Amino acid sequence: MTAARPVLDAPGTDGAAASSPRLIPYVPVLLFAPCFIIYAVLFIWPQLSLLATSFVDGNQWSVAHYQRFLGDGYYWELLGRTLFLGVITTVITLVLGLPVAYLLARMQSRWAGFLLVITTFPLLVSAVVRSFGWMVLFFRDGLVSKLVVALGLASPPFQLMYTMSGVVIALAQVLLPLMVLTLYGVFRSIDRDLELAAMSLGARPSLALWLVTLRLARGGILAGSLLVFSLAISTFATPSLVGGARAHVMSTAIYEQTIELLNWPFAAALSSILLVFVLVLALVYGRVLEGRGQTEARP
Amino acid sequence: MSSPWNIDQLDRRAFMAALAAVGAGSLLPASAEAQGADFKGRQLLSSGFGGSTMDIIQKAAFDPFDAATGAKSTQVPMQSAAALARMKAEAGNPQIDMYQFSGGQEAQAKSEGLTEPMKSVPNLANVPGGLKDPDGHWVTWAVIAEGIVYNKDKIPTPPTSYKDFFKPEYKGHIAFPAITNGFGMDFLVMLARTFGGGEDNIEPGFAALAKLKNETIFKAASDLPGLFGQGDIWIIPYDTGNAFKTAQSGLPVAFATPQEGSPAVPITSCIAKGAKNADVANGAINYLLKPEAQIAIAQGMRWSASNVNTKLPAELASEIPAVSQLAQLDRAKINANRAAWTERWNREIAR
Repeated sequence: MTAARPVLDAPGTDGAAASSPRLIPYVPVLLFAPCFIIYAVLFIWPQLSLLATSFVDGNQWSVAHYQRFLGDGYYWELLGRTLFLGVITTVITLVLGLPVAYLLARMQSRWAGFLLVITTFPLLVSAVVRSFGWMVLFFRDGLVSKLVVALGLASPPFQLMYTMSGVVIALAQVLLPLMVLTLYGVFRSIDRDLELAAMSLGARPSLALWLVTLRLARGGILAGSLLVFSLAISTFATPSLVGGARAHVMSTAIYEQTIELLNWPFAAALSSILLVFVLVLALVYGRVLEGRGQTEARP
Repeated sequence: MSSPWNIDQLDRRAFMAALAAVGAGSLLPASAEAQGADFKGRQLLSSGFGGSTMDIIQKAAFDPFDAATGAKSTQVPMQSAAALARMKAEAGNPQIDMYQFSGGQEAQAKSEGLTEPMKSVPNLANVPGGLKDPDGHWVTWAVIAEGIVYNKDKIPTPPTSYKDFFKPEYKGHIAFPAITNGFGMDFLVMLARTFGGGEDNIEPGFAALAKLKNETIFKAASDLPGLFGQGDIWIIPYDTGNAFKTAQSGLPVAFATPQEGSPAVPITSCIAKGAKNADVANGAINYLLKPEAQIAIAQGMRWSASNVNTKLPAELASEIPAVSQLAQLDRAKINANRAAWTERWNREIAR
């Protein structure tokens, strides 16, 4: 606290701290410090020790756990299923969430606030409770499973319980409010006049929506997708409760190795591999979305 | 009880000294721990099985213990496997003094040096040799009998054998627990025994289970009401306790003992090595072994008693198999093969 005082005065001497390259920008550093310290202690350090654990076999350093993963089709299948779960959940929440968020953001009615609360209401109930709710509906005599059979989508001894489809449905419901909230914020910040301007220049409403609003909402779409995707592939409660043993994904495999089999190094390796894949995917996705925007904005 | 001074009369310094002495409880002479029974102001933290099970055990053993000694015992809900992981993570500096296990974890905890021997637990003498560690690191205070849980309405004649799981008329109405659930592991072993193998030859078990691979697989006991309720499931390899609990919720469910034997699942307790309240834990374990507590647990949970002096009321005894009638599985061999069998199960059965 006191250390900052002389520095705060210092820039006044020549206008800006930046003009003197030797001077460390104390103010930004100090402002950044609390966040950084928390991040370092609670994320970076554990992550590094996790990484270190994944390279231990017995009492020595080893890449055995990575070899085991990479050389085994079963684990690739597991990773593939996990990433597929993330992608399909993201697509479903995006398709369902976009219109809802758009309507809520543009709604003039005094019910708008109430509807927003209703949309986000599921967030107030824990994912475990919601998953239990789905379980009741997904068992063979449950409402949803019976409906699927009645609609002729599946033949009689059918249940959504303990299937990947069940996990996707439950997870999409669990994560939809997050997508809607993220998109809602972005749509609210886009000036309606821009759409009107596009239309006054001859664009049909659908084209205006596509050319102006959705394009401006790109950042929100990216943020919402990443949020849903990363939660979908890392979530444990829903796949574990609704999917059971058959819908094994990375998170349930990590749990099994950590808790049931006490093979912590292999669990650490699984976590690290998942983290790397997520980071790469997030970077590529961000690039694609932003890159497209730039090239199209230029001409 | 026979505390030499009243806390109200102490000045602060003496109080702190007393606290320090209490903190060094494990250094006190052993005899003072057992009958002294004054744990006023002391806290005991134990792992527990959660839900109504935990409440029944609290009422049966911990509450009377607290009332008699002035201790305050709290159970932290944790499944056995998670509890062992927690015990391992806290090795050297245990926050939880005492653990309850239902999946054979106590043997592993002992072999990894995570436990310490019990001291002055008088009731330990009343537990038969096979139900406690020879070095006194753990003791069985209840035994679960596994067998067949079935829907009485759909299956009017009680099943008699593990072979009943292969009856064509039950096809599509069978569920079994995943191998990560202790009962799932024992089902695999019992199938192996049924078809000519056993702990040493698991092949017949996997071969039999492969025939059931398209049936419903579940992970946790909490799925049972759903499976019997909305799941249209008629027959599941599970235990007396959960059969009783599910029946209590109003479902037409009963328990049957298979002719191949009801495997015994020991419910054990042990003390974390270096636990700050090891003396209190010893006292609580003694209460878990008391006949009164074991009768209350039998009443609430349908778990068998381990103390030879526990005499269950006749109507209860008819519902709960005595420990001597149960099949003992080789837990050491099962533990040694757990990782390999789990890996294989994941690939061959759940895939």
